[in-house]
Amino acid sequence: MRYYETLYIVNPNLENEALDITMGEIRSELEKTKSKLINHRVWGKKRLAYQIENQKYGCFILLQFEGGEQNQMNEFNTWMQLHQSVLRHMTVALDAKPEVYVEEEKEKPVEKQVPESTEQESPKDIETTEDVSDKSSDDDIENKEAK
Amino acid sequence: MAFQSRNKFCYFKENGITDIDYKDVKLLRRFVNDQGKIMPRRITGSSAKMHRKLVRAIKRSRSIALMPYVDLGSE
Repeated sequence: MRYYETLYIVNPNLENEALDITMGEIRSELEKTKSKLINHRVWGKKRLAYQIENQKYGCFILLQFEGGEQNQMNEFNTWMQLHQSVLRHMTVALDAKPEVYVEEEKEKPVEKQVPESTEQESPKDIETTEDVSDKSSDDDIENKEAK
Repeated sequence: MAFQSRNKFCYFKENGITDIDYKDVKLLRRFVNDQGKIMPRRITGSSAKMHRKLVRAIKRSRSIALMPYVDLGSE
């Protein structure tokens, strides 16, 4: 059987208890497809790249499982689309069996994701800087010779 | 050093990356420009095989709102 991974975004305003209830609902719905659950964990509250249903933030939850019956899986997909508090979801087939996630004892503080500036410079800039450095080095040599 | 910087190389081959995960936004950010467009292979220098995987990963991460379709800067 193939392994799948579903990443879904839940409304961030849900409290811990409500979140547990929705995760439980989804787990029970997945059990109908006769698939084996491997991981089901909260990935974290993140800022969305674009607004979905007027929400700027979303709670990302990762669900990894071994696939069940195909027809039931399609029903699970539509059920997820109709779910009220799930903003969006996506199921992806995995190449290998996912490892069982073990929670770390020390919880790290939540870090805000800073968008990285693209590190790669355009080749033109590099060439110009090289030219300048070459010229300056040449000048230095000439100056030294003149001295 | 000057000679090395002029040479293009495949980032993934250099770092021994064989699979690209769509959840690894920090990595994927390197291969899009300010507007969020995917940079062409002739600029990034990545191999054809890895570029196909990269494109798939970026498009997946866009559809789950981890990366923007269009980045207009500050909102």
